[in-house]
Amino acid sequence: MSGEGLIVTVGEGTCGIAAGAREVFSLLQKKLPQAVFRTVGCAGMCHQEVMVEIGDETSGTTHLYGLVDKKNIPQIVAFHTADGELPAEMLIRSSDQPGLEKGKYLARQTRIALRNVGQLNPTSIEQYKARTGYQALEKIIKGGMTPDDVIKEVEVAGLRGRGGAGFPTHAKWRFARNAPGDLKYLICNGDEGDPGAFMDRSLLEGDPHSVLEGMLIAAYAIGAAKGYAYIRAEYPLAVINFNKAIKDARAAGYLGENILGSDFSFDVKVKEGAGAFVCGEETALLASIEGLRGMPRIRPPFPAIKGLFGKPTIINNVETLSNLAWIILNGGPAYSSIGTSDSKGTKVFALAGAIARGGLVEIPMGMSVRELLMEIGGGSSSEHPLKAVQLGGPSGGCIPESLFDTPIEYAAINATGAIMGSGGMVVMDTKSCMVDIARYFLEFTQRESCGKCTFCRIGNIRLREILTRICEGKGEMEDLDTLEELSNSVKDASLCGLGQTSPNPVLTTLRYFRDEYLAHVCDKKCPAGVCKGLIQHTIDQSQCTGCSICQRYCPVNCITGETKKPETWVIDTTVCINCGMCAEVCAPKALVVQ
Amino acid sequence: MTTSSLEAVVDPQLIQQWIAQIGSDSSAAVPLLQAIQTEYGYVPRKAMDLVIQYSDINASQLFGVVTFYAQFRLRPVGRNRIKVCHGTACHVKGADRLNTALRQALDITDPEADTSRNGSYTMEDVACIGCCSLAPVMVIGDDVFPNLKGADSQRSLKKHAKSHNETLLGLEKAKPEKTESAPVENDEGSPE
Repeated sequence: MSGEGLIVTVGEGTCGIAAGAREVFSLLQKKLPQAVFRTVGCAGMCHQEVMVEIGDETSGTTHLYGLVDKKNIPQIVAFHTADGELPAEMLIRSSDQPGLEKGKYLARQTRIALRNVGQLNPTSIEQYKARTGYQALEKIIKGGMTPDDVIKEVEVAGLRGRGGAGFPTHAKWRFARNAPGDLKYLICNGDEGDPGAFMDRSLLEGDPHSVLEGMLIAAYAIGAAKGYAYIRAEYPLAVINFNKAIKDARAAGYLGENILGSDFSFDVKVKEGAGAFVCGEETALLASIEGLRGMPRIRPPFPAIKGLFGKPTIINNVETLSNLAWIILNGGPAYSSIGTSDSKGTKVFALAGAIARGGLVEIPMGMSVRELLMEIGGGSSSEHPLKAVQLGGPSGGCIPESLFDTPIEYAAINATGAIMGSGGMVVMDTKSCMVDIARYFLEFTQRESCGKCTFCRIGNIRLREILTRICEGKGEMEDLDTLEELSNSVKDASLCGLGQTSPNPVLTTLRYFRDEYLAHVCDKKCPAGVCKGLIQHTIDQSQCTGCSICQRYCPVNCITGETKKPETWVIDTTVCINCGMCAEVCAPKALVVQ
Repeated sequence: MTTSSLEAVVDPQLIQQWIAQIGSDSSAAVPLLQAIQTEYGYVPRKAMDLVIQYSDINASQLFGVVTFYAQFRLRPVGRNRIKVCHGTACHVKGADRLNTALRQALDITDPEADTSRNGSYTMEDVACIGCCSLAPVMVIGDDVFPNLKGADSQRSLKKHAKSHNETLLGLEKAKPEKTESAPVENDEGSPE
């Protein structure tokens, strides 16, 4: 039971740790004292956390297990050290058995941006170097590539900004390169504010050096000497790992003065964001770094000409940056050979919501929404079929099931009314209410509006009020027309991306799920059983066992009855707030929503 | 509310020290406020007065910034902080019920209040913390609790309260029925 010759790898991203990775790690260490232990970032298979890979140097095999916990650790240990049986139900991937169903999640992906995530210890610069790390930087500096060569290579690759808008990266760089001025800035935008997107977190946590190397390449191309990594304060592990990467890269001579002996100098500082969604917008982000309220300003002048502290500044998204080293090493044509004519390369998506296999996936552009959700994501996580997917966060829109054959590329996605955005995909089954979703996003954008433009500041509040009214069953038919008209006004009269896109969830749900709005307004019903003003919880006494657990969890004490006498249990509907706690804890499912 | 007893005593020397380390010009406003909040759990009015006094940042800028960003709070916090994620995935999966259950356990009835009367816990709604595939989630202190139902969140909180010697007012007064064994599916609720 010693574990000699075994290499045990445990995924310790934020999600792995949340699922108990540290406990699994120390338990395995106790049982396999002779084994070599490694920790890596998140592999993106969040639905399988905690994940453990065991490599056997003697037999040359590797086994990747998912959903490992203290109960099933003995099975794994027994298999690898004694005559135990293979814990097949936990196996995701094995060198002995190719083509496992669970392994499809990884097999169907093309990983460029995520190439190292889950494969290396993010705090080890040595491991990054062992996986071609910093070779792109060396190729540029020692191989004599000029900044124009670098820009040209990225142009050939066809890389577009992965933060949302999809502006061609090379074009933006060229503006800044040609802008006059000695001091230029390069900023990494890691203020991933879209609720439902977490690829930037995963990259910053799990492979910070590839983002840093991307920053160096971009800085070299535009001639920047100073850089900031603007990272959300909600991502503490990302901040720690990125700071460590900066320190190690500086010590290794990849960062600082005269990098690799050349006259190229560049250094980076981490700035922690302070929780403002609007700071994902470039000019608002700059204001925030300058120490001001994060309010966008009129463009032009564009940041590439006049940005941080008035100097030419390029702001690139985390995922964009993490592609760069790969492009330089493998060449622009290799990147542009992936994807479609409109959209080159790959894109990372965060799958969450009512999906069986949630997590991060990186796919070639052009794959259909259906293939992504059904083949990789495994379809619905419940017995209820999928209804829609919200793409692009609060700025995006809902794509209904009928349009799931849409290919994932910028133009085709925009045509549906949604946007690619940063790649958050929240999947909804028939138990999600689309009016409630629209209300949820409006509440979010309205709260996050900086207040500069009147239509965004007040229009979004009015939109939210109307949607709340509809969700409470107080909506009227004319509300639907008002929603549409006001949505278009907010889009037209807002300065930045936040206001220009905030009505998208309303417009797309109105377009594709008008029947649900009508059910709320005309029939005063919420078909999905979500909107509290339109539902009522009651007890089905034929199913009730009289266990009284619902009573214990009811926050307003509206459930009464005698223990073990099902026929006595009732809900006082005049007091009930329909919070759903009772239905959640009821084991025999005796609580019905009407 | 007895949260006034939670008011922090601000040390002027610390403020001066941070200004020396971080900077005294306007771009230092956010990091200075972050340092203050990390130390005291919120931004005390007294600390802001001292920043204005010792640095080149003026009052209107500092108050503008502190009220703009969601991270900063101007009210004292309880001894422990609970962050309930309200990202899209968590919302779809019923994050609202965590609020209901936690407020019940902490006996916070005033809709405006976020801290329990005995100062044990402060509840905050946060935007996405990026663990969407494990939704719904909450964070107590530095620990992330995944895949929660309302009842799980109460149990995780109970465990946390026990190990931190805190009293949960809402569970103290109520319901003398049997105490343990809530029949929820995810029996392994919390990490640690």
